[in-house]
Amino acid sequence: MPGPIDYSKITIVPDFDTAEWWAGTKQHKYLVRQCKACGHKWFPPFPACNKCTSMELTWYETAGRGVIHSYVVVTQPILSAFVEAVPYVVALIELDDCHEADGSLVRVAGVLLNDEAEVAIGLPVTVVFEHTPDPNIVIPRWRISGTAEDTWKFTE
Amino acid sequence: MGALTDKYCIVGVGETPHMRPSNRTTFSMACEAVKKAMADAGLEPREIDGMTSYQAGDSTSSSHVATALGIRLNYSLDIVGGGSSTEALVAHAIGLLEAGYCKVIVIFRSMNGRSGRRMGGQAPSGPVPPVRAEGDAQFYMHWGWTSPAQWFGMSAMRYLRDTGTTTKAFAEVAVAHRYHASLNPKAIMRTPITIEDHQRSRWVVKPFRLLDCCLETDVAAALIVTSRERAYDLRQPPVFIMGGTARTMAPNSAWNYSRPEIHYVAGNYGRNRLFGMAGISHKDIDLISCYDAFTFTTLIQLEAYGFCGKGEAGEFVKGGRLQIDHELPCNLSGGHLSEGYTHGISMVIENVRQLRHRVDDACPGWAEGKHTYDRAAGCRQVKHARIAACLGWGTETTSSSLILRGISA
Ligand SMILES: [Zn+2]
Repeated sequence: MPGPIDYSKITIVPDFDTAEWWAGTKQHKYLVRQCKACGHKWFPPFPACNKCTSMELTWYETAGRGVIHSYVVVTQPILSAFVEAVPYVVALIELDDCHEADGSLVRVAGVLLNDEAEVAIGLPVTVVFEHTPDPNIVIPRWRISGTAEDTWKFTE
Repeated sequence: MGALTDKYCIVGVGETPHMRPSNRTTFSMACEAVKKAMADAGLEPREIDGMTSYQAGDSTSSSHVATALGIRLNYSLDIVGGGSSTEALVAHAIGLLEAGYCKVIVIFRSMNGRSGRRMGGQAPSGPVPPVRAEGDAQFYMHWGWTSPAQWFGMSAMRYLRDTGTTTKAFAEVAVAHRYHASLNPKAIMRTPITIEDHQRSRWVVKPFRLLDCCLETDVAAALIVTSRERAYDLRQPPVFIMGGTARTMAPNSAWNYSRPEIHYVAGNYGRNRLFGMAGISHKDIDLISCYDAFTFTTLIQLEAYGFCGKGEAGEFVKGGRLQIDHELPCNLSGGHLSEGYTHGISMVIENVRQLRHRVDDACPGWAEGKHTYDRAAGCRQVKHARIAACLGWGTETTSSSLILRGISA
């Protein structure tokens, strides 16, 4: 498991487009944006539907599960919040329940609770909510939650 | 061929040294670069009437630089942007010249990219002190995913998986660009490297090693665009703009990384426009610049712009194909990996010098176009350089490009 992330060194400032999303993580919900007009889902929560331009939007509560589509292993910290965390894995996660008939899908990123040794493209992951010093900010992390047949791992 | 092909030219180029650190303001550096570009072209301040720049909230403005140099402008604009900006501002300059807003336009980039706002994301002294996460950064910051190396590394990792390419292909790019830097007295990193040196260098963010990453640099650089008619009267052999694209985007599924293939980058959507406007094909290209924020960004754009097939860039670059005197010389100044990082403008400048046959190398007669082509003696002029492609990169989803033509091959 990577070292701790010092969330006191990142002050999250929710805004018009994101405040409800942060309210969601506080309740341990992983939300994505959804269009009321056509049902399309996306993330991050951009303010309009890019399929139909509707700005009448709602939120879809995902199951918080997905598959690792890609990843990087950060060995050099950029933010001071991550100095103790390196090396850590940022995974790009394709959410299980946001696939649409035309092929559109939703990916999100997040810091894995697993180490590099365990990570591979193709593995399933589940969200885990991590509390921070700010009671209003709860951060989603991801944990590898199973195995898969078709996996790929970076070798040096 | 496009209606504007060959109608406008790049007539002057100039830059400060590549410094780490500069101990100067971006204002001072910009003035030096613009002054050198004017001198190179043989233009007086009173003959310049347009100026544009690009920046990331880390620089000085066109109107400020013009005022300092005694230039009275009819048009100025400072845009936000990075690696897709130079080629885009050249396209923008053509539009302004065509419409008659001004007659001679300077484009510059001035940045303390190492000692000021670092392009790699860290603060000058190391990891960024406590920050406020606003806008998109609310997500990127809590994801621990905040630097270009980390972002493009995500696409690179998936590319390696999808194509079976290995990081030895990244190494080929690093080795080629470093070899060119070894022939460039202005370059920061001039010691040639091997594939093994690349493979042994430390990790920054897997799959990128140190030698996959460009050099954060303090530098300013400028170029001047004007009409063909005006260009004929100036000091240097004109370099004609045959065609280009300006911030062409990939179709976007709301967010870069939710696109079906995250490594199918924007150049794929610009290449037909670029070659169509220029009226030429790949076999006509003598040299290229291909944005090397990272080795991977060069590699993937070779595919995007059709120099090789999809997934084939690793094979394509093997055996030094990107090196001078080989098939497709790339980033002849050493590029951002080895000369210094300018957000793209220095790569266009190098191509201009190559097409004039006046590359500023170790040849005593370079300024008169006299080159030895003796690499051991430090000549980096490409023989018979006539047409060059400049392939800029903003992100996976934004690209800009140019095709330039010289007359003295
Ligand atoms: Zn919609």
